[in-house]
Amino acid sequence: MAIIEATDLRKVFRSVVRGPGLGGAVRALFARDHEEKVAVEGVSFGLDAGELVGYIGPNGAGKSTTIKMLTGILVPTSGTVRVAGIAPFDHRAANAQNIGVVFGQRSQLYWDLPLRESFELLRAIYDIPLDRFRQNLAHFCEILDLERFMGTPVRQLSLGERMRGDFAGAMLHDPKIVYLDEPTIGLDVIAKEAIRTFIAEVNRERGTTVILTTHDLADVERLCRRIVLIDEGRVIYDGPLERLRSEYGTHRTLVVTLAEASSSEVVIPGATVVHHEMSVVHLRFDRRTTAAEELIRRVTERHTISDLAIVEPDIESIVRRIYTDGYARPEALPS
Amino acid sequence: MNASIRGPRFRFEPYFAFAARAMAREATYRFDVFTNIGSILVRVYLLRMVWVALYAHNAAPRDLPLHAIITYSTVALLMGLVMDIDQTRALHERLHDGSIATDFLKPISVPLYYFADGTGEVLFHALLIVPSLALALLVVHVDVPSFGTLAAFGLSFFIGYLIGFCINFLLNCTAFWTLEISAVQMIVTWLTGLLGGELVPLVFFPEALQHVVAFLPFASMFSTPLLIYVGVIGPERYLGAIAVQLLWLAILGAIAIVVWRAGAQRIVVQGG
Repeated sequence: MAIIEATDLRKVFRSVVRGPGLGGAVRALFARDHEEKVAVEGVSFGLDAGELVGYIGPNGAGKSTTIKMLTGILVPTSGTVRVAGIAPFDHRAANAQNIGVVFGQRSQLYWDLPLRESFELLRAIYDIPLDRFRQNLAHFCEILDLERFMGTPVRQLSLGERMRGDFAGAMLHDPKIVYLDEPTIGLDVIAKEAIRTFIAEVNRERGTTVILTTHDLADVERLCRRIVLIDEGRVIYDGPLERLRSEYGTHRTLVVTLAEASSSEVVIPGATVVHHEMSVVHLRFDRRTTAAEELIRRVTERHTISDLAIVEPDIESIVRRIYTDGYARPEALPS
Repeated sequence: MNASIRGPRFRFEPYFAFAARAMAREATYRFDVFTNIGSILVRVYLLRMVWVALYAHNAAPRDLPLHAIITYSTVALLMGLVMDIDQTRALHERLHDGSIATDFLKPISVPLYYFADGTGEVLFHALLIVPSLALALLVVHVDVPSFGTLAAFGLSFFIGYLIGFCINFLLNCTAFWTLEISAVQMIVTWLTGLLGGELVPLVFFPEALQHVVAFLPFASMFSTPLLIYVGVIGPERYLGAIAVQLLWLAILGAIAIVVWRAGAQRIVVQGG
């Protein structure tokens, strides 16, 4: 049963266009030219309860706008949203009780309060039963290692500590759904790992539905089975991460180190040179048309090599390629 | 289907919590507090000197003898401790940096949140009235009216506070459209001080100006409670005076609700 249903969501922002300089500013006071910018253009998807989905796209693709519409703080221009059976913007407060939100770039805790009192305030806001509150808090303290800075005002916390506090804060009221908007942005490797472990656990142990938007595709590889890829306001891929990899990760790279540095052009049939510096040559080839051993044979026939390696496409390079080339199902591939 | 969905039942608890937190927050700026109380002492003394000098050379108005005017300006200063606070500036700050979006993500009434937070802040400053009054009594004599008059003054003061809240809230709401409000705010603060009777009782104004002031809400904030305190507005006129205040409260409250809704609508349509 779908817990989130977005149907043909569309959001158009209207803004005043102003000419340059003082003249433009004065003119804008009287005659306003409007410019329409389509942020989200007909996005549809559904999430089942307990899913953990990566919502991925480049800057300005419409990710945050979609998340804002799902959380009820932005009204769609057209289309419908149902979150746990509720239209979020019509029933903001009822919806707020069902969801938890973490913004990597914006804390939801109270800056002037120690973390512990921030949590107390959230207990009052969400009407969390006392025993449930204590239980959750003890649990989160343990897995997020909060105890050390529970008495520190939020504004004095480091980014990593603050994010851990934000995660606990967003989960205290046992939300059915959590929206995580770039939750690992700016964090160091250890903090990122702590957050990822927490997300995975919450999803697994509590069955919380999670939508994760991120630029760090390592988050996605670690956490999500399914991803929704969005570009220029449209969904361009929605499905298992593995399928994207197998469909789109058609090209592998053979990295060859030549025995001696050469600046002359390297030409190998069945592969393209994508990088050549000193003695190192990167050869990109389609695994469906060229077998690796065949390619290696062709290289060794022509050059003396001292080392070689085959690099599998990571999800990052796949997604980067989709952003630049657009998503088209690779042709000649049985699906 | 939508009709069957009910929001969470209204509870006072979060708003008490917001107010308590705001009080605690204010208490952390202790140094501020002491300078504030210190400056009260100086201002009370200076105002007394001014009025004594003025009264020595002019005929006193019939119903405001010297002791009454000194009481008036001392009480006005003490009222200013809570009335001069812009208790809703958090709204404008949170609009400015965009964090207001997170307020809308909580299952609470956002304007009531600002009201509770601002009132908590004000309550802390209200506590300062007691030590400030004690200090003021070192340099001036303040008349103490009957219990009935004090009660009427308290009620009138409270309504005046709510009117002040609406005005501040409205001013901060303009940030929905302009993001820059300090100029308008300065003008309104100045108008409140002058036309509200905080600095000088309105009876000293030229008659024409008094007529104008009668059609503005500022007098309801300071002048009405103060005139009740010093007895210029006698018990037989309490009802009328407070009715005018309530009328202003209703008008400004209604405008505040309309403007808030338009602003919030803009946020949810334009994304801030």
